[in-house]
Amino acid sequence: MRALALAALLLLSACGAREPYRQEAYAFGTRIEVTVDGAAEADARRAVGAVLADLDALHKRLHAWQPGSEIVAINDAFARGEPAPVSADLADLIARSRAIEAASDGLFSPAIGRLVRLWGFHADNYAPVTPGAAELAALVGAKPRLSDVSVQGGRIASSKPEVALDLGGVAKGWALERAYARLKAAGVRSALVNIGGNVIALGQKADGSPWTVGIRHPRRNEAMASVELADGEAIGTSGDYQRYFEAGGTRHCHLVDPRDGNTGCALQAATVLASGAGAGLKSDAVSKPLYFAGPKQAAAYARRMGVRDILLVDGAGEAWLSPSFARRIHWLVKPAVVHTLEQP
Amino acid sequence: MRLIRPGDVAVFTLAALTCGLVVWACWTQSPARTLSIRQGGALWREVSLLHNARYHVAGPLGDTVVRVEDGRARIESDPSPRQYCVGQGWLEHAGQSAICLPNATSITLEGARAYDSLSF
Amino acid sequence: MTASASERLTLVARPLDRQVASLSALAIVLALVDAALPTPLPGVKPGLANIVTLLALYRLGFAAAVWVSLLRVLGAALLMGSMLTPGFFLSLAGALSSLMLLAPASRLSRRLFGPVSLSLIAAYGHIGGQLLLARLWLIPSDGILYFVPAFALAALITGTVNGLLAARLLRRWPSSKH
Repeated sequence: MRALALAALLLLSACGAREPYRQEAYAFGTRIEVTVDGAAEADARRAVGAVLADLDALHKRLHAWQPGSEIVAINDAFARGEPAPVSADLADLIARSRAIEAASDGLFSPAIGRLVRLWGFHADNYAPVTPGAAELAALVGAKPRLSDVSVQGGRIASSKPEVALDLGGVAKGWALERAYARLKAAGVRSALVNIGGNVIALGQKADGSPWTVGIRHPRRNEAMASVELADGEAIGTSGDYQRYFEAGGTRHCHLVDPRDGNTGCALQAATVLASGAGAGLKSDAVSKPLYFAGPKQAAAYARRMGVRDILLVDGAGEAWLSPSFARRIHWLVKPAVVHTLEQP
Repeated sequence: MRLIRPGDVAVFTLAALTCGLVVWACWTQSPARTLSIRQGGALWREVSLLHNARYHVAGPLGDTVVRVEDGRARIESDPSPRQYCVGQGWLEHAGQSAICLPNATSITLEGARAYDSLSF
Repeated sequence: MTASASERLTLVARPLDRQVASLSALAIVLALVDAALPTPLPGVKPGLANIVTLLALYRLGFAAAVWVSLLRVLGAALLMGSMLTPGFFLSLAGALSSLMLLAPASRLSRRLFGPVSLSLIAAYGHIGGQLLLARLWLIPSDGILYFVPAFALAALITGTVNGLLAARLLRRWPSSKH
């Protein structure tokens, strides 16, 4: 009797609802995690397989330094002062990135591939490098921007040879949108896609509850907060802990400020939650200019780029939230100081 | 002789409280019990955190060494150049994970967690 | 030092010894029943033999309870072939720590604290001693902490039920003089 009651108790705590289908893969130079709920495993496997294959192909095309990629071919042509063929989807991505670049007053630009390379981030291994001051000044002074790039009739051209595309700041977000569309077309009604830390939600979980995403603590090995995502919402974070190297006691982040070419890690992290059309791309791209804008200007820039929910963690570990984000966030490890960003 | 005396009720209450305290301390504080080790996206093995051990996981660049000790886990060594996963140190709570790139090895502490995926 | 072959060794069993012996035999049988019952977790048992320890404590005194408890551990181990195995030492550790708690607890006011109290105290002593030995010797890892609540819950239930059973039996077995 007693043993039986105890067994029932243990079983009760152990069993839950049916586990959703989860697939992890390495593509896109990072880890991809796709969770599908409420679908037969065979269907989920097929849909996720198609998504991963698409991402793999996309990664090869968008690679910033691997020979054979569409981007490398375009950059080579730019350096020679020649136009290059461009696919329609890539042209669309460049047009959307250009709009964000314009709205951010150049705090974000996917045209600074040469600066990124100068800092040694175009390699699998980041050796501590300090670029030559003259070389850095020349590149910053040339102001390579997407606004120097024009697309016409399937061909792309740049008015400056210094322009080199590096879509590292938008590719994952764009890929989220493609994954979302593909899963939906395959009949999946509930999924969560995580591409290297950028996450998009499709529908709700099978039990009707919303998908919940953790936001990594910039200084700890765990989530600092969690937030529920509605269908089509996406979240992304830029942090100083992601890709960096240390030289002479200073940390250099892979986030290069287009204005001065610096890689000083000003903030610990900037998180953006985007909704509506183009949420995937926004969640990825908008976190970069906000990272450089800092707590004083972030809210104004976010609004210009059509984003309301933002969270910054400054160099001292203090959190800055927009009022709308403050209302929907659940703290797990609450920072000592939490500010509310003033509405612009 | 009465079966239950006043002191018995007090002792029972105390015992029940101890029970509740122990459940809270042992079951809600650190619920991670197993570690899933993945290689190239596929589950390589799900191991118990109750047994101290070292696991050698073969990846495209070489072996990633995963260590389990006293209910915690960490990447002890990995051939990937950036070494971020090694630098992450010990993982203790459910939901924590370390990803070794480009060797495509990851470890995750399984258990009840407050979210479905992590933005990082 | 030398004993002549003609001398005869005689063992005299006093009434108390007989009672201890028969209670121990009963405890061993119940320990075997315990071991035979299916359990959800190794180590979680009804602990029926502890009822007998309580009877001995109430009717024959603390010393008799110690005898009954330890003879039960030894006897059950011999019959099950588990002598000197980890299971035997766990059992012994449980019995010893349980007795250590019962020693002071048996001096509590009988008017206020009945068999249920003593049974609960003994049950918690039992799992306490077993878990301590397991943590120090068998599973030297904090992973064992995960199972502590299950044992505590089991001790709460079995301690209470065994205490009630002991109280009922004591009511039918009026204290006799010996």
